[in-house]
Amino acid sequence: MKAIVNHRIFFWTLLALPAVAAILSGKDAADQLHGTGEWSARLLILALAISPLVLVARRARWTLWLQQRRRYIGVAAFAYAALHTFYYVMDMETLPAILSEITIISIWTGWLAIIAMLLMALTSNDASMRWLRAGWKKLQRLAYPAAILTLAHWLLIHDGVTAALIHFAPLALLEAYRIAHHLNRRKTPAHA
Amino acid sequence: MRKIIMSALAAATIAAPAMATGKVTCDVPESEWQPREALEAQLTAEGWTVRKSKVDGGCYEVYAKDEEGRKIEAYFDPATFEKLYVAQRGKVLFEKK
Repeated sequence: MKAIVNHRIFFWTLLALPAVAAILSGKDAADQLHGTGEWSARLLILALAISPLVLVARRARWTLWLQQRRRYIGVAAFAYAALHTFYYVMDMETLPAILSEITIISIWTGWLAIIAMLLMALTSNDASMRWLRAGWKKLQRLAYPAAILTLAHWLLIHDGVTAALIHFAPLALLEAYRIAHHLNRRKTPAHA
Repeated sequence: MRKIIMSALAAATIAAPAMATGKVTCDVPESEWQPREALEAQLTAEGWTVRKSKVDGGCYEVYAKDEEGRKIEAYFDPATFEKLYVAQRGKVLFEKK
């Protein structure tokens, strides 16, 4: 049982389930937007939450379990964003239609978010880690602007303000804890 | 501090499904409402392509493509069909004063 749960195929299956359910639902492209976007945001939030969770939970086993799978979670966040964008393009139908709304703030924040996530997803492999060396970590920090853009996109596009804030509140809380933790540590003199 | 964070996280996770909707609300007795199909028909006659409509915050909310081809979300009074609010991807195009 434990071997199955810890197997990466199990985890990938878990990550793919909402997408399979969405695709099988056969809903119109326009009706797929909300669900796929929300899953992308959830997974992006989860990927970002792992480091502060490890800190808050004092390296509890489940946080380390998540940490080992952060790459998959991040890539899945991009995959859901890509599916979301696919449905958007299907719904808009033509390039002029897509371009006609690109200047709306809720739309361009979404485009920038997926570009950031694309760059991260493309480099989420060992070869890129070796190739980019120290730059890799800097590049993966695009996750923060991606999250802020995603939040802005969600807040502005529709009347889902409450849902968006509820999703992002835990991450904000964890980041606040992390910042407080680091500030505290800097103040305390190091033990000799 | 850690305990507070952990319990706040748990609370947020439990509260997540409870979501509020709508930025426009209507307070019209249901006995005065006209059928939603009548609103859809009226909008179609005016050049809109209605994708779907529903009740939100006591108003009729319509998802449609307007006469200029913009994907919009619009709110109407369910009794008078007065236009209350129109937005394109969250950008407000019309708001009743």
